Amino acid sequence: MTMNAVIPTDVSVASDAPFRPNRVPVGSPAYNEITEFLYEEAWLLDEIRLAEWVARLDVDLRYTCPVRQTRPLHQHAQSIVRTVMHFDETYASIRGRVGRITDTRSAWAEDPPSRTRRLVTNILVDSTDDPDEFEVKSYLLCSRSRFEETNLLFLSCVRHDLLRRYDDGIKLARREIIVDQTVLGFPNLAIFL
Amino acid sequence: MLDRTRTTLSDGTTIDDLINIETREVQLRAISDPELYDIEMRKVFGKTWLLLGHESEIPNPGDFITRLMGSDPVLITRQKDGSIRVMLNVCPHRGMRVCTADAGNAKVHTCIYHGWAFKNDGDFIGAPVAGEKMHGDILPKEKLGLTQARSHLYGGLIFATWNLEGPSFDEFLGEMKWYYDMLFCRTDKGLEALGPPQRFTIKANWKTACEQSASDGFHTLTLHRWLGEFAKFGDGDLTTSMYGTEVSSLQGHSLRCMPVANKFKQAAGFRDGNLTLEEKLAIVPPPGITKEMLPELIRNLSPEQLGLLVDSPPQVGGMFPNVLIAFIYVPQPDGEIIGLTSLHTYIPKGPDELEFCNYILAEKDAPEEHKQKALQFAVRMLGTSGMVEQDDSDTWPHITQTAKGAAARNVTMKYQAVCTTPPRPDWPGPALVYEGFTKDDTQWNWWLAYRELMNAPA
Repeated sequence: MTMNAVIPTDVSVASDAPFRPNRVPVGSPAYNEITEFLYEEAWLLDEIRLAEWVARLDVDLRYTCPVRQTRPLHQHAQSIVRTVMHFDETYASIRGRVGRITDTRSAWAEDPPSRTRRLVTNILVDSTDDPDEFEVKSYLLCSRSRFEETNLLFLSCVRHDLLRRYDDGIKLARREIIVDQTVLGFPNLAIFL
Repeated sequence: MLDRTRTTLSDGTTIDDLINIETREVQLRAISDPELYDIEMRKVFGKTWLLLGHESEIPNPGDFITRLMGSDPVLITRQKDGSIRVMLNVCPHRGMRVCTADAGNAKVHTCIYHGWAFKNDGDFIGAPVAGEKMHGDILPKEKLGLTQARSHLYGGLIFATWNLEGPSFDEFLGEMKWYYDMLFCRTDKGLEALGPPQRFTIKANWKTACEQSASDGFHTLTLHRWLGEFAKFGDGDLTTSMYGTEVSSLQGHSLRCMPVANKFKQAAGFRDGNLTLEEKLAIVPPPGITKEMLPELIRNLSPEQLGLLVDSPPQVGGMFPNVLIAFIYVPQPDGEIIGLTSLHTYIPKGPDELEFCNYILAEKDAPEEHKQKALQFAVRMLGTSGMVEQDDSDTWPHITQTAKGAAARNVTMKYQAVCTTPPRPDWPGPALVYEGFTKDDTQWNWWLAYRELMNAPA
């Protein structure tokens, strides 16, 4: 095999942006603050403290989860489908979803609730033109156990977030969840990612 | 003596033992028995027409999508002449999946294993090193193409079957076609898929989802209680909207027509008979329709169909064996009523697993803003994260598991809520008509259709 074949330099499916535009160094104060926000968020969701989670969402939130398709490498970008998505949410619709769970006794999909573990890793932070806004990539491996099923269900994804810093803390303004499965192994997305 | 035309399991149990016609009961064993599953793949999914997508997913010559017909992968392609072909996506050489992408455009599909190449109509072109004849001389080239299914377009929906000599698609729909036409063939340009389907798996047998899709009304009151409790549908009482008319056929198809006047205060005037079609469409149009489409509806539907569509549109139901139809309303707190259009196929993936495949559609002629809203609310209510259907997907796995118990397999599922109200004398449509509060008849007809196919000679 010849090694000089033309290989696309960037097969990133989520963005055409250069890989290291405005990296906030790992371990810097801003990086740590953001990491802590993501860890706390995972904790609140795993503990089903949904009202506290919603308090960390900004009112202009866009929260989406595109469908994935299998495509050849040279069409890799098209493996992300942003027409029909698994989630297509705003702040109001997320509040509606949370209200269904917290304000009724009939949201059976999560009552009894799943036991979940959101493992957040590989956090990369970029600064933006606005000193209080950060573009953040993080990997999420979410395990889910329901009833007496011994095999955990897994969903892996990368999240492309826009986080906004306020005086009283950080808020999530945008999240695009790029899942790795074309056919999800979860029976529903009654939980948040 | 064995009746050879009757399907019998290895322990001597027949389909008729499992489905009791006299008492309208189905033994739970019928849900997830692996032996039955193998028969279903041949006698149900190998024989009936199956929904595979919408032609708007492959608008240009060479476009293709790959889907599943039961457990068989198929390649669906758009030809140069605009027609559509459905064929087995399995290489006749050594069984490799020929096309491995979910969608794309290609003139030629070449198997990556040994390089056999096929035109996008499935014809065998050749194999590498032509002079050495990898495909030999024993079979002519004409016999080395991809296995063709028999396909049919209905309102742009792609259907196919392996039953080359069986009933036509129209025969398969039977009298229910009159009602399905109100949903799928009502506008000049028809529906379009707003994107590829959502796909996810549920550890449940396909029949748990499919018998429910045959217009199970009762589960709405309990499983989807939040719709009243939280979303305040029907001002908090879902019962009123369960009065309507269910239509069905012995082919196992069904729809529930729900009077708009029972659902929405704004539509109370629909009952008086003083409103014109135009006025009604301005108040609460059928899901997916805008009032501007009235001339198209008049062109495409009979006055009887149009009257029913406007007063009492079919909103939920199914198409045997594995399609759910949802043309539903989502009332907003500000009074706006958004209509959604979605079709699901529940694809069997073994006795204990199904793939939920959710197509979201809209009328091609609808304004872009209307389509976007319908899409967004369809995602929020139905399918993967749908607030309605996430509760369903948590139910079916339990049934699939309980059906395996030594004692529970003999428990029966009961379809004994029988409609006794005669149809309204002015009911305009054909087929079996069940008037009044939702009952079990449509779901029972689903099982009768299943029984018929399962007992038919292979």
